[in-house]
Amino acid sequence: MNLSPHRLSRTDWTHIAFLALPTLLFVTFYVYPVISSIHLSLHDWNGFAPKMRFVGLQNYQVLIGQPRFLHAALNNIIWVAFMLIVPTGLGLLLAAILDRGIRGEQVFRIIFFLPFTIPAVAVGAIWRWMYEPDNGLITTVLKLLGLGSFAQNWLGDPNVVNLSLMGSVAWWTTGFAFLVFFAGLRNIPTECIEAARIEGATPWQVFWKVSFPLLWPSTIIVLGMSAIDAMRLFDVVWAMTKGGPAYSSEVLAVQMYDLAFGRFDMGRAAAVAVYLFIIAGVIIMPYIIYMSRRVQDSEAD
Amino acid sequence: MSSSIEQRQTILTRTVLIGMSIVFVTPLIVAFLTSFKSPAEITRVMTLPTQIYWENYAIAFGRAGRTFLNSLLITAPAVVLSLLIGAVAGYPLAYMRGTGGKLVYFILLTGMLVPFQIVQIPLFFLVQRLGLYDTIPGMWLVHTAYAVPFCTFFMRNFFASVPRSMYEAALIDGCGPATYFWKLLLPASGSGLAALAIIQSRAIWNDLLFAITLTTSDNARPATVAIAGFASSLQVEYGPLMASTIVSVLPVMAAYLLFQKSFVRGLLGGAGK
Amino acid sequence: MKKSNMLAAFGLALLGATSVQAQDNLEVWHYYAAGSELAGMNALIDAANTSVDDANFTGVVIPGNVVELRRQLQTAFLGGRPPAAYQSSMAYELKTFADGGQLHPLTDAWAAIDGDAIFPEGVQRVVKVDGVPYGIPFDLSLINNVFYNKEAFQKAGVAVPTDWDSFTAACDALRDAGYQPLGNAGGTFWSLYNFYAALVSVVGEDGYYQIARGELGFDSPEFAEALDLYRDRMVSCYAQNWSGKTWTQTADDLINGNTGMFMMGIWAAGYMDTAGFKAGEGFDMFQAPGTVGKSIFQMDVLAVPEGPSVAAADEFIKAITTTDGQAAFATLKGSLAPNINVDPAVYGYAGATFSRQFSEASANNAVLPNLFFLLPTDLGTEFGVQIERFAIDPSDTVKAELISTLEGLRQEALAESAFIAW
Repeated sequence: MNLSPHRLSRTDWTHIAFLALPTLLFVTFYVYPVISSIHLSLHDWNGFAPKMRFVGLQNYQVLIGQPRFLHAALNNIIWVAFMLIVPTGLGLLLAAILDRGIRGEQVFRIIFFLPFTIPAVAVGAIWRWMYEPDNGLITTVLKLLGLGSFAQNWLGDPNVVNLSLMGSVAWWTTGFAFLVFFAGLRNIPTECIEAARIEGATPWQVFWKVSFPLLWPSTIIVLGMSAIDAMRLFDVVWAMTKGGPAYSSEVLAVQMYDLAFGRFDMGRAAAVAVYLFIIAGVIIMPYIIYMSRRVQDSEAD
Repeated sequence: MSSSIEQRQTILTRTVLIGMSIVFVTPLIVAFLTSFKSPAEITRVMTLPTQIYWENYAIAFGRAGRTFLNSLLITAPAVVLSLLIGAVAGYPLAYMRGTGGKLVYFILLTGMLVPFQIVQIPLFFLVQRLGLYDTIPGMWLVHTAYAVPFCTFFMRNFFASVPRSMYEAALIDGCGPATYFWKLLLPASGSGLAALAIIQSRAIWNDLLFAITLTTSDNARPATVAIAGFASSLQVEYGPLMASTIVSVLPVMAAYLLFQKSFVRGLLGGAGK
Repeated sequence: MKKSNMLAAFGLALLGATSVQAQDNLEVWHYYAAGSELAGMNALIDAANTSVDDANFTGVVIPGNVVELRRQLQTAFLGGRPPAAYQSSMAYELKTFADGGQLHPLTDAWAAIDGDAIFPEGVQRVVKVDGVPYGIPFDLSLINNVFYNKEAFQKAGVAVPTDWDSFTAACDALRDAGYQPLGNAGGTFWSLYNFYAALVSVVGEDGYYQIARGELGFDSPEFAEALDLYRDRMVSCYAQNWSGKTWTQTADDLINGNTGMFMMGIWAAGYMDTAGFKAGEGFDMFQAPGTVGKSIFQMDVLAVPEGPSVAAADEFIKAITTTDGQAAFATLKGSLAPNINVDPAVYGYAGATFSRQFSEASANNAVLPNLFFLLPTDLGTEFGVQIERFAIDPSDTVKAELISTLEGLRQEALAESAFIAW
């Protein structure tokens, strides 16, 4: 597109007209709030006082020296790694198994998708029970299996709580990965698979040599969304532990919330938000760049 | 030999499937059973209810009935609007050549990085000034606006997978780019739209943050606020909480079942190759 | 698509119908979204609507807790659309909002209801900022009671403890009889509330207020002694896995006879009662060691934001501070009415016990507000987090870190003159 207005074709004008409304919404609902957050992060303000005090970069400097902040940032990064691997891998496994044409496929499809439809507060409430350390279902089942020594203080032990939360999130979100992979597998032309079968490939060879490479478009959507969800993670942690015990399960969005409304420190909270935005950018921007390149490649084909 | 391997594999995959199904479904069964327990029985989570206690559903409907309707009134149009806005933005971005389009795309995508908790104050001002505070159209607007990055991303990728020759042929036939979009591209994009509809239904139906910020009364409060209410600070009313959760899952499931067929069929035979 | 268009049209029609009548309502925001709390709140608002003719108050539930409510309030204040009244915590919370210029001084309404006469002195302290009342008490809960399973006490042969030694004896006996001696739950408040018993034992009422004013350091020997007392007498008794439970799950343990004792706010009595476990039959309670004859309380108040509806809010306050209004809330919710003229006969067995404790403490001038809300918000919250951490891992390392963290915050607060002489 040439930016000089005289050279713009009718097609260009149509494109611009199409983009006008989305861009307007974006500027109003994203750009403006983000700029106001950056502005806020340079101030000391309790959220109610008539005046804000300008403190420069102090909020940022204080945060970077705080173990509490670093711990939450690290948790976010661990969550990204987890979300990229576990729900995605599990979803792929289930989709691959189901794609082989199993009786009762429809029932399994509903079962695997079902948890994904549940609101976060309810997920939190249900899993608070599952994880009740003495009489909860998980401990009870472990005891029945004679594995009682593996039972943990699921949500109360700072060393275990993050794993427990991840378990419930895997349960909650695997359905999404499953859904996308399953549709992706169904999208693969049957001829490719038949051809491989005729050449004597086992089902697993078919999957890894033929299906999986063709699944790449689904895979990158799932990976990208998982990473973004992991950075923005809030609801389930807030509903289940509020970041506790003693900050051990805190992620940045939770810390931001606690600083802003638990402690009336809006400026500090805004600085956490900006850090979160930056960290997310560093982790996810390569993905976004990759996405746009990939689409161009496919256009060139 | 090879058939016995196959058999063993079938047994293995069956076991994995059934095992995973049990893991997935058990928490829901616990929730379901709990929704039929009286308050006295709820203290014993791992037991079966001794009688069916419908009272929880009565409480859930009594206190949250209107909010279920609101959720429907918010979600259905907001899903349609967010799909439209995603398609409208995704279309030029998929076809524009050069840096301008790429830049716009990048900037829109960065929206996916914004944690929603930071936008609420400016958002409140905006919605209030538009006179849409505590109204259902206000919720449509907000859900549409916050769907822009993801829906654009999704639809742009989908459109980019539609063969460009279709577009060029249409233009040569004297069809304008706008006409092409409305008359040819959009109707051929059922599968992409269906997939996005499932994702968006779930996201909008389950939203709590915007709902708490922008609604205060039964005029516009969706079910998630009522559900969160049952899980309030000091007391948790597990019976009605689980009852309302079970009820609230149904519409999203319905949307899933409704769109899933066209979703898979569309991908199988549609424009995606 | 057609279906959703129809839905949209239906939605618009519905909006047209409802938006007109919504305007005249005066909103009262609170976070009592469920159970007996909600029932009490609705009764309170109904009482106001019955006695105030020309205004209609509507309760609006903000689900969650005080943190979510603050978030909503901030948005509403900045947007110039505050509620007519809202549920607030006491003390420092009121100060923050009053300093921000958001709160309407309730001097006139306070005089009209004769607040100085109907509320105990300890309660008055925490609703006034520099002598000006900004909050109206309506919901008071004692937090220094230990609940116990009567059957467990009987089977273990335990007598009701009256001091730390008999408390420790009770723990040992319960443990020997196969019970988890003392329940506790994860969260910022619960371990802290338990710790108050140890703290008051060591520093007394005066020391407690000294901490609230920032005069007694967290690095003082007294504070360290309180931590040791808490560790030796309470933490050592805690049930296995306590930190992974919610307070209702621990209450369930008490009901089901797994746990012998549970120190919790008196709302636990209401919860157990709803579950069919009755006060005086299934369970009973005693004041925690070190707090006998004293009352430590947590209280919610109603605050009135500046705005067009302050006159109506004054009427609301008059209605909810009458003995009837206060009793309506307290009996349904299972808390105590702050108004001392409420007849103790309105309460059941548990409420009558708490009421008796509270009058006795008032007479002794030993009514202590929850320290969490007396301290600057940041310090109070960190106090809760650090005590929970110490309760999970009562090592000397954690103790030292706790002391240095809190003392650091105290120094910061001193430098900013953030402490208040309540």
